[in-house]
Amino acid sequence: MSNDFMAERNKAWQGFELGNWSETIDTRDFIQKNYKPYTGTDSFLEEPTENTKYLWNKVSELIQDEVRNKTVTVDLTRFSGIDNFDAGYIDKDKEVIVGLQTDEPMKRMMNPYGGFRMVKGSLNAYNLEIDPKMEEHFTEFRKTHNDGVFDAYTDEMRRVRTVGLLTGLPDAYGRGRIIGDYRRVALYGIDYLIQERIKDKKNLTGNATEEVIRKREEFSEQIRALQAMKSMAAKYGFDIGRPAYNAQEAIQWLYFGYLAAIKENNGAAMSLGKNTTFLDIYIQRDLDNKTLTEKEAQELIDQFVIKLRLVRHLRTPEYDELFAGDPTWVTESIGGMGEDGRTLVTKTAFRFLHTLTNLDTSPEPNMTVLWSNDLPRGFKDYCAKMSIQTDSIQYENDDLLRPIYGDDCAIACCVSAMQVGKQMQFFGARANLGKALLYALNGGIDEIKKDKQGNLIQVLDGIEKNTEEILTYDQVVADFKKVMDKLSNIYVNTMNTIHYMHDKYAYEAGQMALHDPKVHIFMAFGIAGISIVADSLSAIKYAKVRPIRDENGITVDFEIEGNFPKFGNDDDRVDNIAKDVSQYFMDALRKTPAYRNAEHTLSLLTITSNVTYGKKTGATPDGRKKGEPFAPGANPMHGRDESGALASLNSVAKLKYQGCCQDGISNTFSIIPGSLGKNSEERINNLVNILDGYFKQDAFHINVNVLERALLIDAMKYPEKYPNLTIRVSGYAVRFNQLDREQQEDVLARTFHESL
Amino acid sequence: MKRQDQQITGQLHSIETMGLVDGPGIRTIFFLQGCPLRCLYCHNPDTQDLNGGRIVTPSEILQLANRYKPYQGEDGGVTFSGGEPLLQGKFLAESVKLLKENEFNVCIDTSGYGQKEYYSNIFPYVDTILLDVKAFSERAYLDMCLVKQKPLIDFMNQLEDYGFHGQIWIRHVMVPGYTDNKKSMQKLIQTIEPIQHLVERLEILPYHTMGKEKYKELNKPYLLENVNPMDKEKAKEFEIYANVLLAEQMSKDRIELIEKQEVETSTLETNVSLEEHNKIIRNFSNLPLLRHINPEILNDIQHQFIVKKLEKEEILFQSGDDPNYMYIIYSGAIKIFNVLPNMKEQIFYIYRKDSFVGGHNLLSDSKYWYTGEALLDSVVITIPAKIFNIYFANKKAVLKEILSQSFARIRWAEDLINRLATLNSSVKTAGLILRLAENFGIKKNGQIQIPMKFDRAEMSNFSGLTRDSLTRKLGEFEELGYIHIENEILTILNFDALESYLN
Repeated sequence: MSNDFMAERNKAWQGFELGNWSETIDTRDFIQKNYKPYTGTDSFLEEPTENTKYLWNKVSELIQDEVRNKTVTVDLTRFSGIDNFDAGYIDKDKEVIVGLQTDEPMKRMMNPYGGFRMVKGSLNAYNLEIDPKMEEHFTEFRKTHNDGVFDAYTDEMRRVRTVGLLTGLPDAYGRGRIIGDYRRVALYGIDYLIQERIKDKKNLTGNATEEVIRKREEFSEQIRALQAMKSMAAKYGFDIGRPAYNAQEAIQWLYFGYLAAIKENNGAAMSLGKNTTFLDIYIQRDLDNKTLTEKEAQELIDQFVIKLRLVRHLRTPEYDELFAGDPTWVTESIGGMGEDGRTLVTKTAFRFLHTLTNLDTSPEPNMTVLWSNDLPRGFKDYCAKMSIQTDSIQYENDDLLRPIYGDDCAIACCVSAMQVGKQMQFFGARANLGKALLYALNGGIDEIKKDKQGNLIQVLDGIEKNTEEILTYDQVVADFKKVMDKLSNIYVNTMNTIHYMHDKYAYEAGQMALHDPKVHIFMAFGIAGISIVADSLSAIKYAKVRPIRDENGITVDFEIEGNFPKFGNDDDRVDNIAKDVSQYFMDALRKTPAYRNAEHTLSLLTITSNVTYGKKTGATPDGRKKGEPFAPGANPMHGRDESGALASLNSVAKLKYQGCCQDGISNTFSIIPGSLGKNSEERINNLVNILDGYFKQDAFHINVNVLERALLIDAMKYPEKYPNLTIRVSGYAVRFNQLDREQQEDVLARTFHESL
Repeated sequence: MKRQDQQITGQLHSIETMGLVDGPGIRTIFFLQGCPLRCLYCHNPDTQDLNGGRIVTPSEILQLANRYKPYQGEDGGVTFSGGEPLLQGKFLAESVKLLKENEFNVCIDTSGYGQKEYYSNIFPYVDTILLDVKAFSERAYLDMCLVKQKPLIDFMNQLEDYGFHGQIWIRHVMVPGYTDNKKSMQKLIQTIEPIQHLVERLEILPYHTMGKEKYKELNKPYLLENVNPMDKEKAKEFEIYANVLLAEQMSKDRIELIEKQEVETSTLETNVSLEEHNKIIRNFSNLPLLRHINPEILNDIQHQFIVKKLEKEEILFQSGDDPNYMYIIYSGAIKIFNVLPNMKEQIFYIYRKDSFVGGHNLLSDSKYWYTGEALLDSVVITIPAKIFNIYFANKKAVLKEILSQSFARIRWAEDLINRLATLNSSVKTAGLILRLAENFGIKKNGQIQIPMKFDRAEMSNFSGLTRDSLTRKLGEFEELGYIHIENEILTILNFDALESYLN
């Protein structure tokens, strides 16, 4: 090793306790040896600096303009890439953390590698036009992920996709949900990472099997991506070849790593990882050395967060319909407990959440608190306080995560956990099980969609049409299982096709360069409509359900006689149905092997697409009419929980995470402030107790909104009064005025817990 | 023989699993069917009929409650509401007992009307009563609730006799044109006078019209059709007013009590001269305790008694001292106290003439765990342990005397604990804030600011409250406008209001 290299390391790591991390790449070991847990309150937090305020005002205006005018700015002269753009600034002299995706804030990139049609469609929607030469050359010489997928899709795969039995599949844009260990850039510098990856490639010996060839090619791509990162940072005047020397550099270096990822990829969820404990080590060292003040530390975090709020991707209007509000899922996982029993909460966890106060509320970054029963009380109180004030936090159960993923795991997107730099997932959206249940009644024929000639579409073969006058539970369940068996096989095969092509045509070289050479892969499947399925089967079992069929024998509606237990009332009779169905589907999925030996996982998550799923699904036996929205995620259907919010939480808490829905179970909880307690102190206390009680029962996730329904109604009428009103929907936060009318109404219609 | 196979059951209207405003903390609320009142504003008219609802057993209640235990934190629990839960006395008694055995915090939301015969089996298990006081005169009760007021007054007067040793939240629904005036608030405070020492919170609930729809469904006339909802801000003002009145009333009563005690002691002050000394010894033999000792023996041992004169604030014995003497107060007053972690004195008793202290310690050979100090200039006669053991400890009558006095003291101590525990988290919290102000307060812009150097857990230790109760109280004070907490600085906005809780 060169003298320079050692000198740089000595300078960068001065005062740090060395260990395995200083011998090889091991970020967790560095954190464990050097971080300082914080168990106090929020009293130390500082206000934003003048520069921060100035920058945020400017950015905020730009964001509001875009929302108001429904326009976007796009760089039409070049395609996306880690090092394809010049340096860009908001206001260079005032920025302590720099770097933009393009050379201007809010200017979006064209990323054609996932699919050129997506770029074309997006530009058309905004009346923009790409340089015809660029289009010509790109389409002539470059095949995309989307092209590849459709070359290999079977008719069956196309059918389930067309009718919306599988939806939201990442076959036309980036898959996302990969988290690079961006901390490595700060801790080690790019040069060392390149050097290590060259070694990894050399160590890859043996026969040139398909697997080995692919690996070698990927390593080469990764090395080039690291070089591009270094070059990109150099345009901003920084040498990230060496490790970071202080807190400002650590944040800057880390951000450059993340910036490379969002310049290269346009995945739905481009999450940030778990960084506050890591960054706190640098900040604390500078504070101890008196080279940084608390005010300056907060300024660094505030300005880092401003950058994260500027992340933009070019999307089609249809995409925005599915995922309302232009989300980017810059998810940052905060808090949690360490395996040794010390909390991972540091002052920087507070500083990060404090940006919601210093910079207004905002959907991004997606603030995700890893909640443990053992978290310090000061932090619990602060989180509850911020939830009540901003509706911008989601919580995930750290006590469930830690035994599975260890204590250096982070959430990608909404609820998908992975060890940072060691695991990744193949994102797979979700299957509409509400619709699948109707297939069990209608012999595998879609209840809504017709082909171009107006004929019924036989989507799945080998399912008998149900002809019962009154539906019987055993018959329906037997047919439903057949549907799930068939669907799960098609689902896995479709996912295999998608991710094979994604690896081939839209590989995330920059992000994968910030992983270990050997990565464990999850293949994440999903269910939409679990509460509808549970209530429907419960209605069939405990009440009398009479299907109304059209001339083709397809169900169009249902008459229900009598009462039946409904999901959301802590009633085992129906809650167990929800549990059993998700377990059955998970087991069925496992029967088909996954590409690259990935581990099958399952989520109960819909994001805002619960409205879209509803539109595409006929009337269901639980009494839900055709076209009516589903409940989001694993939420009970609105208006069906009759015993109050905790019964509803208890029902969701019964759904099994470990080994079943291990890609996450999403639940959204909205309550009006007056019902949460008589005054702010009581509200904080009560919310802490609710979260403790819910997670103690092994529940996985919750979004918390504390707001008046009247406020939302007012915001629908006068959006200009509430430019920053943020609410949590399934798995992420969104600016309320960026939802369309239908989605706003859905949010309003959902159960708001109130008591008189 | 009669078989007891009939299971006790109740009529349950519904459950609210997340009750956050009906009692302290997070509560599972069981709404029971049936109510003897017919309040014009009732927003749950569907619970008035005793028949209906679903039939449940106490063990089902326990089973349901157990489902929500994980959420209950330090002071949450179960609340029985209704309807009027006391109307299902037998079922309620069985249920609260079962819940208490399973360590639930139990709360009852009542108007004070029900099956009295079960009260003694209910109230010993109740931690908090939410007492609805609907109106403040016989007439008004008849008008508003179609029942007499007297049962409520009796209920309040007899509550402690039923074995209730918890706290009370007073609630009053304020209907425009009925009680939205200061006079009514004064009457409210008068009405609750018998139980004021148990009141932990007083709430004025603004009348709302959200129950109207239910009347249509039930085909019942809604008699307040033309009355508007109560303005929330105004109701809040009346709530603050009533709270200040209550605090003043309570501190006035306490001062009276203390003054009464002072009068008794001031008549007993003496100067000890030689002449007086002889008189002391002479009078001494008339002490009730000594009458049981043979006069001849007494005469023999008298010279071994030590007559000790104490000046005010002089220490007689200290916490940790060995039991070497029995002390008999000849004159003056000795206070027995302990110093709490917050450096504040906690007085347990004040002993006056003819009282004795230390007998029990000698008998059980246990050290003092409290300190005795002269409250006034006093004269104490001290009997050494040896003498006590030889001549006193073997006399049945003496032991009986010691026991009976000890018993009286235990009763007194229980009462004290009762007061300390239930009388007032308001007083305790106000006291804590004022003490913190004294020690750490900074005057700024004419207001006192206290930097919160302690976390809530430490503060709750200082005040003898649970963390959640203290937090709740601070929140309540903030809402009442007494204090303001921001950025870990507590600002006192209404010093007088806080002081009015103390004397």
